[in-house]
Amino acid sequence: MRLKLRAKILSAVAALLAIAMTAPAVSDEAADNLAAPESFAAVADTAARSAALFTEAGKVLTHPRCVNCHPAGDRPRQGDARRLHQPPVERGEDGFGLPAMRCPICHQAANFEPAGVPGNPGWHLAPHEMAWEGKTLAQICAQIKDPARNGGRSLEDVVHHVAEDHLVGWAWAPGGDRRPAPGTQARAGALLDAWVKTGAVCPN
Amino acid sequence: MTTLSVTINGRTYGPTEVRDALTMNDYLREYLGLTGTKFGCGAAQCLSCAVIVDNPDGTSYTSPTCIVPAASFNGKSIRTVEGHAKNGELSTLQKAFIDHFAFQCGYCTAGFLNESQALLERLARKRVPRAALEKTIAEALDGHLCRCTGYFKYHEAVRDVILADPQRYLV
Repeated sequence: MRLKLRAKILSAVAALLAIAMTAPAVSDEAADNLAAPESFAAVADTAARSAALFTEAGKVLTHPRCVNCHPAGDRPRQGDARRLHQPPVERGEDGFGLPAMRCPICHQAANFEPAGVPGNPGWHLAPHEMAWEGKTLAQICAQIKDPARNGGRSLEDVVHHVAEDHLVGWAWAPGGDRRPAPGTQARAGALLDAWVKTGAVCPN
Repeated sequence: MTTLSVTINGRTYGPTEVRDALTMNDYLREYLGLTGTKFGCGAAQCLSCAVIVDNPDGTSYTSPTCIVPAASFNGKSIRTVEGHAKNGELSTLQKAFIDHFAFQCGYCTAGFLNESQALLERLARKRVPRAALEKTIAEALDGHLCRCTGYFKYHEAVRDVILADPQRYLV
């Protein structure tokens, strides 16, 4: 009788452990993945499919690797906690920092992991009018469609920017212990391409 | 390993084989014994490690050295705190720092000095109105930390140097 009870307890503990170990993994996987555009084919309504495609791409657009350099203020953010950049740099007139503290001085052409400093040849902030921080996905969508707030880009240019830009691509290979943006750059571009081709409808 | 040749205070060092992971701060202090450049926070947050980098076009800017690979300075020309005085004579800026008792422990001084010198050179190329001077100095020195709280004295020292030669620095 005692042995049976012990076996039941052990079995229950093992089951709980299994749940505890697998649940976060499933959750992380969902957050880190990016669905392919084809997986939205079942959405019959074109407008709804378009909005769904943008919502999926929004996993990238609202990711810290992207938003940290699309800040609402004049200072970039750092890390998944989106803390203010240290040292206290500012965007400056051209997005490359103030005269005394230019982004590329510390941010070299490639990551310098001994000091934990990320790098890319074009390291700089997105212009103020392209700030995404603190905005809903619907607001970001409207902003991305507005040439006055997307760097004067057509929607095709926006797709190209996300799919091809070298600095944007850093988000998927950030190095160190930084969490990459979900999916791949190509898939993010494909999602936005499909979004444009379905009417570029914004989610509510 | 990367080959590094760099001109420091007018003297060329190298070529030297250095580790890719070697920081410029370690190169200056440990390889060359140029310990005037300090190691503070190690994260470019205090800028006590800042040096002046001279561009071929005559412009200059400051760079932290604690988080920047030594190899990235290959072929460049820099100035450190050891290069300001000439023939034993302190620079105008150094004298102003002393006149204002701008520093106490002195750990941040090399960084402030280099930043201030770079500012003077920037203003000599592009002068600013007197009304914009305070903001210009504050922005230039903004990233530098001083735990002895000498900020205002540094600011005053730089301002005095500029106001002593307004035609050179001010519109």
